[in-house]
Order: sequence, then C-alpha cells, then structure tokens
Amino acid sequence: MVNKMRDFKFIDSSKKMDKEQIRESLTYWKDVWRRLKKNTIAVIGLIGVIIVILFGVVGPMFSPYYFSDQITDFSYLTPSLDVFQITDTEDGDLENYFVHLNNDYRLFLISEDGHIIERLTRTRVDRSIWTYYYDYEGEEIAVDYSRRVGDEYTGDIDYTVTYEGVETLYPTKTVWNKTYLLGSDHLGRDILCRLMYGARISLTVAFVAAIVNLIIGVTYGSISGFKGGATDNLMMRIVDIINSIPLVIYVILLMVLLNKSNMWTIILALGTVYWVGMARLVRGQILSLKDLEFVLAARTLGVSQGRIISRHLIPNAIGPILVSLTMMIPTAIFTEAFLSFIGIGMSAPAASWGTMANEAISLLEKYPYQLLLPSLAIGITVLSFNFLGDGLRSALDPRLRKG
Amino acid sequence: MKNYYVRRILSAILTLFIIATMTFFMMKLMPGGPFARERPIPPEILALIEEKYNLNDPIFVQYYKYMAGVVQLDFGNSYTDVGVDVTEQILLKFPISMRLGLYATILVVIIGIPLGIVSALKQSTWVDHAAMLVATIGVTIPSFVVAVVYISLVAGTLGWVDAFGLDKWTSYIGPVLALGAYSLSFVSRLTRSSMLEVLRQDYMRTARANGLSKFKVLYKHALKNALIPVVTYLGPMFAAIITGSFVVEQVFAIGGIGRYYVISVAARDYTMIMGITMFYAAIYIGMVLLVDMTYSWIDPRIRLGKSSGE
Repeated sequence: MVNKMRDFKFIDSSKKMDKEQIRESLTYWKDVWRRLKKNTIAVIGLIGVIIVILFGVVGPMFSPYYFSDQITDFSYLTPSLDVFQITDTEDGDLENYFVHLNNDYRLFLISEDGHIIERLTRTRVDRSIWTYYYDYEGEEIAVDYSRRVGDEYTGDIDYTVTYEGVETLYPTKTVWNKTYLLGSDHLGRDILCRLMYGARISLTVAFVAAIVNLIIGVTYGSISGFKGGATDNLMMRIVDIINSIPLVIYVILLMVLLNKSNMWTIILALGTVYWVGMARLVRGQILSLKDLEFVLAARTLGVSQGRIISRHLIPNAIGPILVSLTMMIPTAIFTEAFLSFIGIGMSAPAASWGTMANEAISLLEKYPYQLLLPSLAIGITVLSFNFLGDGLRSALDPRLRKG
Repeated sequence: MKNYYVRRILSAILTLFIIATMTFFMMKLMPGGPFARERPIPPEILALIEEKYNLNDPIFVQYYKYMAGVVQLDFGNSYTDVGVDVTEQILLKFPISMRLGLYATILVVIIGIPLGIVSALKQSTWVDHAAMLVATIGVTIPSFVVAVVYISLVAGTLGWVDAFGLDKWTSYIGPVLALGAYSLSFVSRLTRSSMLEVLRQDYMRTARANGLSKFKVLYKHALKNALIPVVTYLGPMFAAIITGSFVVEQVFAIGGIGRYYVISVAARDYTMIMGITMFYAAIYIGMVLLVDMTYSWIDPRIRLGKSSGE
C-alpha cells in the first residue's frame, strides 16, 4: 500500500478535472424531446392533443348541461342570433327585450346580452296575408312573411316583425347565443356540451383500444419474432388470414355479433381486430434485434426468455411501437365515428361525434353548423395526432438526426 | 417460380375457406336467432321457416350444406327478404360499386401521383407545401364529411348537380371525390416520399453526369423506380375503395353493395351479411394476390420464391 502511494503525487485542487464544466448528459428521451420541440408541426400537434384532452376531460365540469339534457322548446337555435327589438316605448320599463325567429318559425324571447328567456307560443296563423302571430305577455307579435312571396320581393327583407303597431324591417342587431354557445340541436340539447362528451367518448375509445392493441400486438409479435421457426410461421399465417380482409368488416361483424351498441363493444371490436399491424411491426423489430450481441450476452448470463423480451428487446423497439400507437389513435377515432355514422356504433342519446354528424345530416340545409362542428372536432383531433405521430417518428429515428 | 404461384393461390383459397368458416360460426353464435322478432312468429310457421333454412339440422350438417353452397357460389337465400337470392343481389349491386371504385381509383392515379411527383421535384417550395397541406387535410377528414359538405355546397347552395343517385354523369363527381379523397392524399404523400428517396440515389447523379437530358433522367430513371411502392399500394387500395364505400353510398343514396351491406347489418340479415363479407374477402384477397404475382414484373430486383422471408 505504502509502496504504491509513492508512484502518485498530490496535485492542488485547482487542477482537478471535476472543476471543469461538463454538459449535462443527454439521455435518449431528453434528446427525443429536444428534437420534438424543434419541430414546429409536432409541437402544434402536441398542443392540439392537449387541448382536445382538456376539452374532453375538464370541459364537461364547466358545462351547466349534461349531454342528454334536452329542452325541446329551445331546439334549433344557432350560435349567432338575428334579433328584433320589441321594447315598449310607452312604459317606464327600461329593460330591452328582443325576439329571434329561427328557421323553424319559432319565436324566442332573448335578453339584451343574448340569453334565451322563453319560447313564445304561436297563437294563430293567417295564411291569406302570410302572417304568423305570437303571444308575448298578452300582446301580439306579428311576423309577416308577405314580402318574401310578394311581387316587390327583392331578397333584401325576409320577414318583418310588428309589435304594438311598430313594424321592424331589419334585425336590430346580431347577438351571440349565451345560453347555448354553439347552438342547440333538434332536441334542444347544448351542442358544446355534447361535443365535450363526444371528445370523452372518442378519446376513451381511442386510448383504450390503442392500449388493448398495444398489449396484444406487442405480446403476440414479440413471441412470434423471438421464437421463430414453426411457431413464428403459424402465428404469422394467422395474422395473414386476419389481415386478408378489410379490418372494418371484422369490426362490423363483431358489432353485429355483440348485438349491443355502446362504447365498450366498440372498444372490444376495435381492440380485438387492429392489433395485427402492431404484431407485424413488433415481430419485425424483434427479428432484427434478437441476433445482436447484447441479447447473446443476456442469454449467456442465463436470463430467461420472458425477461429478455421484456427487458432487452421491447425497450429497444419502443420508438416504432410508440409511433404506431400514436397513429393507431386517429384510426380508432375514425372507425368509431364511422360506425356511429352508419348507425351501428354508439346509440342515442350518447354524444359521439359520429352520432352527432349522423343526426345532423337531415338538417344539413337549414343548420349546416350542426354537421360542421362534430366534423371539425374529428378533423382537428385526427390532424393533431397525425402531426404528433409524424414528429415523433422523425424525433425517435436517430438516422434523421441533424444536430 | 411456378411453385410460388401455386402456393400463393392455394394459400388464398385456404384463407377464404377459413374466413367462410369463421363467419359461419360467428353468425351461428348470434344470440336470439335470426327470427326472434318483437311479435313472436306462430310456432307452426317458425317450424316451416326453420326447415326451409335447414335450421333443424345439427350444426355441422348446416355447416356442410352452407360450405357446399359457397363452393358453387351459392350463398343461399336472404333471411329477411323472402325469396331473395344472396348471390343474385350481389351480382346485381356490385357493378355499381365497382364503377364508383374504378372511377375513384382513376382519380387517384391521374391526380394523386402527379401531385406527389411535382411536390417532390419542387421540394420545400410553396408548391410542395400547398400540395402537402391539401394531402394532409385529405387524410384527416372523414369521407362522410367530404360527402356531406359536397352535397350541401355544390348540390344544395350552388345547385349545380343532383345530390342523390347516379342518373347523370355529373352525379358521379361527388361520390367519386368522397371515395377517393383519402387514397388520393395518401398516394400523393407516398409518391412524394418515394420520389425524394430515389432522387437522392447515386445512380441519379451518374445519369445526370453522363449527360442524359433532364427529361430522360426523370422519366427513365427516377419515375420508374419511384413508382414501384406506389403501384404495389394501388392494388390493395383499389380493393379497399370498392369494399369501403358504405358511407359514401349511404350519404349519396346510391344502391350499390356497400349500402346494401349496411342495410343487411341493420336488419340482421345473416345470410346476406355472410355472403357479402365472403365476397368482399374474395375481392380483397384476389387483388393482393394479383399484386404479389405481378411483383417480379413490376420490380425486377425481386425474385419470387426467395423473397417470402422463410
């Protein structure tokens, strides 16, 4: 001990290497995150995904409605309302009231700032002079459509509102609907609230189905790839058979078989079908990894097969798996919307985006926004996940590394 | 080589057989039975019906009879529409879907591929960005939205064409557009990335260095190689378009096989569902087989029989 000490000599602490400024070590995931952040489109996708998740998870907590709450009197209201002022000019009543006529000839009493107070009942219709009469606290409000059909029709004035002898030709102003921010549907349900619950359904279906796919696909693919030989051959033949007809048809068949339409049957149908792509991917990854030296080393050390797969092989294939998972989510959202749209997915009164779009089709000409909103929601969600997936793909692939 | 073909065809037939078996037993598993109605059918009539559809036989006899029919392309009679023959219905309604699918595929080929090529050649210019933006949006919008927006805008507001049916040639525009939008976007993205890959290759530089004209370099060397993955994608895509027209046919009220399938599913018409599923599977498998078999012709680098990875 003493002998050896002679070979070394002390240096003063200022020359020690640990004083040198070293860069913080960059782990794989930190590097991925760094590259992901640089990619504007991926960041937009990530933000979009976060917004959609917040919209679905937190949104309904702030909504005064529940997705199946319906007020039939308040149906078919648009997000922006053309209103006519009907204030009594003689009274000392200072509060201004407005009326709004919707496309179904229903007259609503609207407050100054856009809250819907009540639906006014139609008392009588005089078809000879194209006028509908509504009752407002004992007074009559006349809505006159004669200009629409008369000879002097210019397309300028659609109808006029007469209250206490004062005829208003043009809407006084346009207010935003404060009771239903995005309008109400044919049963008087709040569309914003239904969109939020729709986000919940779509995301739940997408995430749970994706996780089910992940579990089945990774297990199946890694066993097949690792075992090789006859096992692999048989397992991949099964995958080939499943893959030989469009997966949507299986999902439809399963939905028929399950004979029930709710969120869980959709998840079950999606989860049991779409894993084949994941299985193929994982098998390919495992095949390319299993002959590498670190696996040989693990084997030599006597590590069990299951542990080699779970601790050595899958973590090395996590990149492509993650990308495939992100891409799985839009597919699941699409399929759910598609199933609900053709009427074998979510059944009423559930508020799936597909169901909402389906219900809105018949109202398309009068209320296009009712279709536009769920479609937009599907589009934004799918686009966000696609952007994020594309970004992840390039961030996880070291070959595409630039700096 | 010949061996490979024989093996592929045999495996396709085996796959179809398995799918037929699977669908058969799936339908038999169905709870309630096909004739469970809200208003119960009198027992005598039920007995007659069950006899007509061989429902009294043991399940394996039923299976044998069904499979014997399938081999002769006879899928039996419809459960819900009395006297309607499944095979006849398929043959009657399929040509409509086929024509739609064909037009949509043509649209994809004549627009999607050039779009991808142009955007690869003009990489990172506004042309590229615009084309890829359109393509990205095309992949993210569900076909029913395309269909419905088209109907409301072109047929409704502008009033240029009829929204429903297929009476005039103009009424094909909407369905074909809605049916092809997704594949069009996908194909143009695929063409672009494949083209970019090829343009980076060394032989492209060699070709240019040898003084070949720009045209020749592009068409003889770049395009031929870049289109290989695209062409192999087109086969299954064509099958997917034909078998995926449920929504488009539903929205545009076209009496093709897709709409009929959805109606059969809603009505739980089991024989019809089985028949159309089998038919769809046959088309899909046939198309994939066709592409696989022409693969060596499309891409001479691949030698069949050795490439199957076994």
